[in-house]
Parts: sequence; structure tokens; C-alpha cells
Amino acid sequence: MLVFTNVSRIYPDGTQAVKGVSVHLEQGEFCVLLGPSGAGKSTLMNMVNGLVQPTSGKIILDGEPLNKKNLQMIQRSVSMIHQQLYLIPRLSVLHNVLTGILPLAGFWRSMIKSFPFKDQQRACELLSEVGLKEKHLMRRASELSGGQQQRVAIARAFMASPKVVLADEPVASLDPTMSRSVLKSLKKAAQINGATVLCTLHQIDYALEFADRIIALREGEVFFDGAPSEMNSEVQMKLYEIEHEILAQAPQSKPEEAPHLEINIKAVA
Amino acid sequence: MKHAAENTSKRNWREWQAYQAITPKTIFALLITFVLLSWSAHNTEMDKAAVETGQAVLSAVGIGDSNVLNGVSKFGRQAFPIQFSTRTELSRLEGVDLEYLPWLSYIETGISKEYDMQTDTWTQEKVEYLVEPVGYLKKVLRMMWETIEMGFWGTMISIMISLPLGILAARNYSPHPVVYHLARGWLSFHRSMPELIVALFLVLIYGFGPIAGVLALAIHTSGVLGKFFADEIENAPKGPQMALSSAGANSLKVLRYAVFPHVLPAWIAYIQYIFERNIRTATVLGIVGAGGIGMELKGRWDLFDYDHVATILLIIFITVVVLEAFSQKLRNKTL
Repeated sequence: MLVFTNVSRIYPDGTQAVKGVSVHLEQGEFCVLLGPSGAGKSTLMNMVNGLVQPTSGKIILDGEPLNKKNLQMIQRSVSMIHQQLYLIPRLSVLHNVLTGILPLAGFWRSMIKSFPFKDQQRACELLSEVGLKEKHLMRRASELSGGQQQRVAIARAFMASPKVVLADEPVASLDPTMSRSVLKSLKKAAQINGATVLCTLHQIDYALEFADRIIALREGEVFFDGAPSEMNSEVQMKLYEIEHEILAQAPQSKPEEAPHLEINIKAVA
Repeated sequence: MKHAAENTSKRNWREWQAYQAITPKTIFALLITFVLLSWSAHNTEMDKAAVETGQAVLSAVGIGDSNVLNGVSKFGRQAFPIQFSTRTELSRLEGVDLEYLPWLSYIETGISKEYDMQTDTWTQEKVEYLVEPVGYLKKVLRMMWETIEMGFWGTMISIMISLPLGILAARNYSPHPVVYHLARGWLSFHRSMPELIVALFLVLIYGFGPIAGVLALAIHTSGVLGKFFADEIENAPKGPQMALSSAGANSLKVLRYAVFPHVLPAWIAYIQYIFERNIRTATVLGIVGAGGIGMELKGRWDLFDYDHVATILLIIFITVVVLEAFSQKLRNKTL
């Protein structure tokens, strides 16, 4: 369904973030991307929703190749849960979720914040799926706790019935109990809506617990690809070793951070 | 140079050049600043102001004489008691029903003396006056209300002008750099025109009355407000905007959902400030004939009716204080 064929990306500063990645994702798969910082996880994900263009190789979503021409169509069938969430703090929870279908909403109706009843019901359904209550509906997003905000972001991502949901470290700032419950919500929402999820994580135990499939990246290349049961301790150890190796080297630049900044600026401008 | 740098990098920490608060350079700079400030203060007669104010203070405690204090006391003697009432000859008024006089008013009979130059005689005549004890106060309050309305409409028109211009003048939402520069230029052009001067021209065009005042306020403050609006849009957090635009929403929708909710409290605070400021300025605009209480103030000032002037000043003062308190309350609610 989502096919990467020999995809590479070289940033203008010469960093080769992704090197010849070929992966085939099935519909409805919950796939976790593992790997040390700077391994190219974020770059790989941002290539799916057009925030980053691949230097070479092809990405095919549902038979449609990704390119600049059909970017808008792709952006509507791919949604993203950002690491910093990027909810709108002063907007109500309901409207934050409804912004998920903003690209499809009528222009004048959306200007006065009037959404069709059908869409509002869908938003409520999604919010209850991720475990929020009616009392949260009209609260401002900024009034919620971190875990609740994360759930709102998940509901927003599923609002437009996307084919693919990209989650960039969705539990980076949560405690273990909350992380587990948020991941559960994410998986449940994905199952109900039949969406493929591509999720980056730093915690291997969560990956083993929730993933249908784990892809581990190492310096831009696929290091491991398979079911969680195949990911034995030897593979894990190797991943850690590599991490230690990288840490032992003198830090020249942070390849993950610099390109990320560039992406944000481009996307807003 | 390189050699010296190598030398310093090898120095022991005991020999490091640490921070020095006062250097000959700072002393020299302070001296230059002092000389320049003194020169400028002399140009603006600040030295004379200091001397005369000092004299006034001394004279107030009984030492010497002061022009300033004499001026104050001259105005004070004429301004008090302040004038709330009106006294009009009945024969000059038309259609006064003696059965139903206006509220609180009464008829007073007085004697009017007139001097005839040709015969060198005084003629006395009995005249009836209609006295309204708070008549003048009512008139001033009516004009103050007109001034507040001028401030209000000046602000409204200013928002209508500055909202679209402000969006076009925000770098990240302007459709084209040329539009951005044009909008910024237009706004600063509006800002650079002082109300009083604009009002002078508008009085020539529209004639005496509040139209000139309202438009003058709108033109100047739309420049200020538009710049505030644009800066606020530019400084809104980029993350939520990126999240919506990367999902495929067009820029107007992003503006509506990711920017407006964020900038709204600041915008309301700016608009409140501009409204307050417009009312204060509107009181002055009447001096050039642009409507409001200033017209009455100027008329009375030119007639040396300082008791009437005192009433006007009192009402302006009370209005400004009340408005300030009111808008402070409103601000606490919106933030």
C-alpha cells in the first residue's frame, strides 16, 4: 500500500539522511520505526507527506506515485501527529479536532467556525475512541494535561479518514503509564479506521508491545525489518552498540536537528 | 594578529582579561553625551523652565515673585467658581412655554443698563432671563458624548482599514513581496500623518464638524493598528500553522484557525488602547474645527471665559479617568 523503492535523501549541507530504503507497508499495519537519533527516521516520515522531497527513489501510496503534482491529494490522505503536537492552545478541543478536515471544509463556513453536524459527530466519536469525555469537548486545548493533549492530536490526525498516519515520537514527553495508554489509543483508532500507522519511538519495549512490524534504521539504512518476535536481544544489543559508537565519536553536527529546522520554515512559508 | 591570539589562548587563567565596568572609553562617551544633552536642553529652553519653576516654588512659600505663579493664579481667579449654568435673555429665545419650563430652570428678572454715547445717558430696562442651573453642564456632557462617539467611529474605521492591510503587511501571509512592501509603506504613510494636520485638511474638504475628526483619527491610527496587527501575525507560533498547512489547508484557513485565536487577545488590547487614545485625541481635534468638545473649548478660550473652560476641562478629566478604569476592567476579562 505504501511502497518505498530505493529512496534516498541528501540535505543541502551534504548529510545523507536516508540511503536507499526499500520498504513495503501493508494496509492497516502498525509499523514502528526504531533507531538512534539522526538515523533518518523523521526524514523518512516527512517524505511521505511532502515536507521533504526524496533526492532519488520513488514513494508510491495506493498506486499513486508521490510528486509535486499530487501533493495536495497526498496531504489529504496522509496525516501527521507531530512531536510537539502543534495543537492550537486557545481553540476548543472540538475545534482542534475539526481542524483535521479543514482542507475539505467549505471556505465561508469554516471562516465562521461552522462545521456540518456529521463532521462534529465524527469528531465526538473519535474523541471518545481515544478516551476523552464530553466535559473536555469545549475546553481550550491548553487547559488539558499532556496526555489528554496527545489524545486530541491523535483524534485530529484521524479526522480526515487518512490512509496513512505518521506519528513522530508521540510519547516522547509522557510518563510510562500515560505512554502505554496513549499508544493503546493510537493503535485502537488505527484499527477502527483501517489506517496504516508509521510511528517513530525511542523505547524498544513499547515497540515490542504494540508494533505489528518493526523497522530499525541505522545511519539512513534499514538495519532490521520484521515482526517484533524476530527482534531478539542480539539485534537490540547491536542497535545499542551502534548508538554507543556514534556517541563516542566527536559530535560534528546534529544531522537530525538542522534539516528539521529547514523543513519547518519551508512548510510555513 | 594570529600570533597574539595564540598567546592569549595559552595564558594561565590567572592572567585572563576579565570584565572591566568603567574604562576611559565609557568616561569619554558619558562626557560627550552630557555635552550633547546640555546643548539640546538649552535649545528647548529646559534651563529656563528649571529656573522659572524653581522661582514658582519659592514664590509659593513666600519668597520672591514669579511670572508662572502669577499666570496660574490669574487663570485660577477667573476659572473659579466654574460655570455650570446658563443665563439667557427670554426675548432672545423662541417658543419657550412659560407653563412648562425645562427641568430645574426658572425665570429671573434683572435690570439691564445701556449707555447711549450720543446723549451720554444711561437707560435702564427690565429684562427677564431664563436660568438653567445645569444648562451648560448638559451642553458640555452632550459634546463630550459626541467626542466619545468620534473616538469610537474613528477606531471602527481604523480597524476596517488596518485589518486587511495588516494581513497583507504580514510577511508570512502576504501574497507577494511587492504587496508586502506596498502594504507596509502604506501603513507607515498613514502613521506619519499627525491627526491635527490631517484634520486641518479634512475641515477644508468636509467642512466643520465631526466627519473631519473621525476620518483624521481613522487615518492616523489605522497606520499604528495595522503595524501592530501585522507584527503580531508574524510573531505567532509557527508549529500549529505548519501542522495545518502540511495537512493541506490553504493559507486563509490557516490564518483563521492557527493565527487568529493566538493573536486575538493582543489585538483586543491594542484596539482598546487605540480607542482610549482616540477619545483623548478627539478632545483636541475640535480646536481646528473637527467636531467634538474641543470646538467649544477653543471658542470659550478665545472669549477668555475661563470659568466655562474649567467646566470643560473637568469633564474631560473625569471622562478619561472613567474610561481608563472601564477599559482596565474589560482587559482583565478578555485576557
